[in-house]
Amino acid sequence: MQTITLGIKEKVFEGVARVPVELDGVTPDALCGKSADEIKELKVWWGNRQEKLGDLFDVGVEGSAEKPDDVKIVCKGDFASVKRVGEGMKAGEIIVESDVGMHCGAMMSGGRILVKGNAGCWAGREMRGGELIIEGDADDYLGAAYRGEMTGMTGGRIVVKGSAGDYVGYLCSGGEIVIEGAVGILAGLGMKGGRIVIGGDAEAPGGEMTGGTLVVKGKVVDMLPSFRFEGEEEVEGVKLKKYAGDLAMGKKAKGVLYAP
Amino acid sequence: MAELLIKNGIVFDPINGVKGEKMDICIKDGKVVESVSSEARVIDASGCIVMPGGVDAHTHVAGGKVNAGRLLRPEDGRKGLEPRTGVCRACSGYSVPNTFATGYRYAKMGYTFLMEPAMPPLKARHMHEELMDTPIVDKAGMPLLDNNWMTLQYAKSGDVEKLAAYIAWMINATKGYGVKIVNPGGTEAWGWRKNCGLEDPVPYFDVTPAEIIKALAEANERLSLPHSIHLHANRLGQPGNYETTLKTYDLVKGTKPSRKRQVMHATHVQFHSYGGTNWGNFESKADEIAKYVDQHEHVTIDLGAVMLGDTTTMTADGPMEYNLYLLTGRKWTNCDVELETGSGITPFLYSGKVAVNTIQWAIGMELALLVKDPWKVVLTTDHPNGGPFITYPILISLLMSRKRREEVMKEVHSVINERALLPTIERELDWYEVAVMTRGTPAKILGLHEHGKGHLGVGADADVAIYEISPEETDAGKIQKALLNAKYTIKGGEVVVKDGEVVAVPEGRTFYVDVRYEDEAVWKEMLSDLEKMFKEYYTVSLANYPVQDDYVPKPYVIKAGAAE
Amino acid sequence: MPTVTDVVCPLCGCLCDDIRVEVEGNAVKKVRGACAVGRAKILGHGRLKSPLLREGDELKECSYEEAIKRAAEILAAARRPLLYGWSCTVCETHKVGILLAEVLGGVIDNTASVCHGPTVQAVQGVGLPTCTLGEVKNRADLVIFWGANPVEAHGNHMRRYSYLTKGWFRPEGKKDRKLVVVDVRESRTARMADIFIRVEPNKDYLVLAALRAIVNGFADVVPESVGGVPKERLVELAEMMKTAQFGIIFFGMGLTQSRYKHNNIEQAISLVRDLYAFTKFAIMPMRGHYNVTGFNQVCTWQTGFPFAVDLARGYAWYNPGETAANDVLSRKECDAALIVASDPAAHFPAECVKHLAKIPLVVIDPYPSPTTEIADVVIPSAVCGVEAEGTAYRMDKVPLRLRKLVETEFLTDEEILERLLDEVLKIKGLQ
Ligand SMILES: [Zn+2]
Repeated sequence: MQTITLGIKEKVFEGVARVPVELDGVTPDALCGKSADEIKELKVWWGNRQEKLGDLFDVGVEGSAEKPDDVKIVCKGDFASVKRVGEGMKAGEIIVESDVGMHCGAMMSGGRILVKGNAGCWAGREMRGGELIIEGDADDYLGAAYRGEMTGMTGGRIVVKGSAGDYVGYLCSGGEIVIEGAVGILAGLGMKGGRIVIGGDAEAPGGEMTGGTLVVKGKVVDMLPSFRFEGEEEVEGVKLKKYAGDLAMGKKAKGVLYAP
Repeated sequence: MAELLIKNGIVFDPINGVKGEKMDICIKDGKVVESVSSEARVIDASGCIVMPGGVDAHTHVAGGKVNAGRLLRPEDGRKGLEPRTGVCRACSGYSVPNTFATGYRYAKMGYTFLMEPAMPPLKARHMHEELMDTPIVDKAGMPLLDNNWMTLQYAKSGDVEKLAAYIAWMINATKGYGVKIVNPGGTEAWGWRKNCGLEDPVPYFDVTPAEIIKALAEANERLSLPHSIHLHANRLGQPGNYETTLKTYDLVKGTKPSRKRQVMHATHVQFHSYGGTNWGNFESKADEIAKYVDQHEHVTIDLGAVMLGDTTTMTADGPMEYNLYLLTGRKWTNCDVELETGSGITPFLYSGKVAVNTIQWAIGMELALLVKDPWKVVLTTDHPNGGPFITYPILISLLMSRKRREEVMKEVHSVINERALLPTIERELDWYEVAVMTRGTPAKILGLHEHGKGHLGVGADADVAIYEISPEETDAGKIQKALLNAKYTIKGGEVVVKDGEVVAVPEGRTFYVDVRYEDEAVWKEMLSDLEKMFKEYYTVSLANYPVQDDYVPKPYVIKAGAAE
Repeated sequence: MPTVTDVVCPLCGCLCDDIRVEVEGNAVKKVRGACAVGRAKILGHGRLKSPLLREGDELKECSYEEAIKRAAEILAAARRPLLYGWSCTVCETHKVGILLAEVLGGVIDNTASVCHGPTVQAVQGVGLPTCTLGEVKNRADLVIFWGANPVEAHGNHMRRYSYLTKGWFRPEGKKDRKLVVVDVRESRTARMADIFIRVEPNKDYLVLAALRAIVNGFADVVPESVGGVPKERLVELAEMMKTAQFGIIFFGMGLTQSRYKHNNIEQAISLVRDLYAFTKFAIMPMRGHYNVTGFNQVCTWQTGFPFAVDLARGYAWYNPGETAANDVLSRKECDAALIVASDPAAHFPAECVKHLAKIPLVVIDPYPSPTTEIADVVIPSAVCGVEAEGTAYRMDKVPLRLRKLVETEFLTDEEILERLLDEVLKIKGLQ
């Protein structure tokens, strides 16, 4: 087991501006077996310049690993303006002890990310596999597609203990998203497959969905006028109304929406 | 200016009858010359193939429709990201690259001339703005002139003289190169969400596509333009359309060419060579088309070959793009242009698992291999409709290697053995034939060979491609690699690509035709008709319509008609 | 007095090109054919007189050279500079601006991100069946304004392009057309309409979803009232749309900037697309500033993406929500800014303006504004379409060339940016 700690240096965010640092490429796959000195030499983007990782972060390494599965990266300090943490990771584990910036776990296909605080927009964007757990809140576009693409998340699992923003699971076609709290507008927008469960309230859930299952246990604001009521069912111990839609999309709409 | 001596290359220069001879090419002041001084920079091309710069006779690279394609597809944009270098601007895109990437990537493949084939006249300025930003290569654009209300009216009254006057005015106003025709009549009908077959009258205009095509061919020859009419026929992409295609070719059989060339260039013919009556019995009729082309002198074709993979389809043929959208359910853009034309765009995945796509893939290559005379065929994918131009090396390697074709045919839908002809074809193109279809033929068809393009004779533009590969090489992978990244590309006497990297980015020139129509009485009548159109129906004024010289900072003007 | 005809008006996305301007003694004296706002723009008003540099609390006059040098130092030093504005200048300026952003590794964005950016995002989701304005003039028998009020915002739109104008197939003008207005309030445009449909604020998405369900054959699921509109009104509207010969929806910021933003537009576009099962239809955004469209065009062909382009790594990363001006400002990501031909201090949320005031700020503009007041460097420029020529794209993407009517001592936006670029290249050792 190799445990790598990245502690962000205070000077990074001490100016008037908070220019984000971007940590794509700093994944268990990339760091596996590397020494602290080697890791410090890695280049990361900070605004329009590349800097040595060691100049922006205090780097510690304990133990060693043969394969990425046995690598754990622990992020310490305020990561709210650190973007792309765990982007594209395939294996191993990343723990962020604070809030984390945008694109955390984007395009990940394996491994596990645990965020102890809140996550910025596009967490788990285009996720293919693995697990992303956010103990705080998630911002907009959780598990969503990139602009213009036909599909978003296709596999893996995202769990949010708090609430989430707008467009949860935009164009989702596989995998699972579970949010214990409330969400913003249009959760499951255009979803074609997979499963999204929302513990709290939701606004206009399931817009333009043509497949998959979307469960809202809290209150629905702006229930869309283009769903067909199909009776009541019990889902995860809660009695809910079952709807088919979104019939705005015409005959191809095969989505299932459960709501109170 | 600098002198260059390209030594010991194996040269393929079809227009000058050079078929793989070891010879030197001398360059001075941007032109090919007899000899150079001992001061000349020497490029050692031993072990390499040397050809004139490639000429793409039909590629959608610039203008409102192409840009709408880029805007529609940020997901395509992020596929081709390349950072700014000391020489090059930032690049993006795969099937719809930004203008900089277009210039660089073509230059890397040894291409030095591009013809944008679908300029909506009202948006001509936009196309020129993008051509200005397309580095290295020379280029030109053809205005769409077949669904214009003026054309429809003159075609209906059979007034070829006024039509010729109108065409002359439009080519000058748009700084265009020739007469482009796209689904004549059908695009106007699309203004009402309708379409037109070859003999159907256009709604409200009471003229048929066949009459439009004939009138435009006559007017084109009346003006003695360097290029013939450039035709995207009716019924593109529909099962059984090959009969319409052949009927269309027959329309101009009797039209007398004004120059030593075809009277009709039929474009992206792959999309027009379909048999069957529905998608279930869809089949190749490439053999029928090839037979016709070999037996007649008045028609030339380009392939519009399909390469398997994701791309963006775009054409002025609005109804066709809508039908394609209905098939895929993907996103769809349409833009109709007042009094003139239209356009549609939708992304498309050509999949070897899909029977129809597999047959389409076969047909493009069948046309290249079944037409016996390579001087009648131009190699294109109708970029990006059949596939992005960056796939040309794949296409060429398939045409040159039966072995590679057989490998791929094993992977694709088995329908290829029943409803396509490719499995029965043994022919492999050689380097000379490739040079003909990518240099000699396109230059001659467009009339550019008289202006220094497509050959390496003395006086020609010093546009040269040097590929690091032996003419004996038969390995498809090696052919593909050599063609994708030229060892050298020389543009106007300047080395722009070295070892597959862009090393210099001169601005290319824009070619346009300055054509005069000489009968003043007819000219005046046409102008009065035109003024009425602008006053009452266009939403821009006549004074603001013609493209100003500011948009063509590096012009090359070809005179035609009475201006010649 | 010499009259210049066919002048293109540099005010709004209509780019009216039939304006007549009388010029005498190198000054515009009279403007005819323009709407009131356009006329005022061409006649001109209080200009910035000189380049300005901030010294403490004061902006002091300086030379162009000093201002440009200081601006270059600010931008070259920045780790995440923002280059914003661009909608009231010509495409020739945009080209230099994008190159500058590339050289700087900056974020470049135009005002679309606070007006029709959602439209662009919607197009990237579903596409856009549209047309040029002349198609509407000549063919449309059903004209719908949704969340748009052309009578007040685009003064000549109805006369020149959409409703009142006569066309080839509509020789009687408005008698040959039906006008429908959908809005949250009865605007002056709504008062002209054959049918006005009042939607509760922020319920457009629901109303559009209901219309789509009706058009696609599922009227049975639609409840009796949606967003304050009775179902029978929606059924009636759907029928009108299906039976029109050529219909058009023009939409404005009432749709792009209300709740469900770009999804309102996606639904509206999808509705138009669905209507193709029955008839011909088109949809078009009512773009505001005269060349907001032009920037999106240039930025797309040069970078591959229309706005909100982050060039930090030397290649483009496009992600509105992250890389638009208001995003990088509200998150305090940018550490310097260049604002060209725009006034974000007057239009952006307070938190964004607060950050803008804190970071080094360079402004290029012909006029003083709340933004120039908080700037560190102010560089006055010529007014495009009056003192400088160049290209602009109309709301339907038809490009026109703006004219130069009078001479000026001010540098053009393009010239200023070229000099600025030269200085930056010098500082970076690239020239
Ligand atoms: Zn084409």
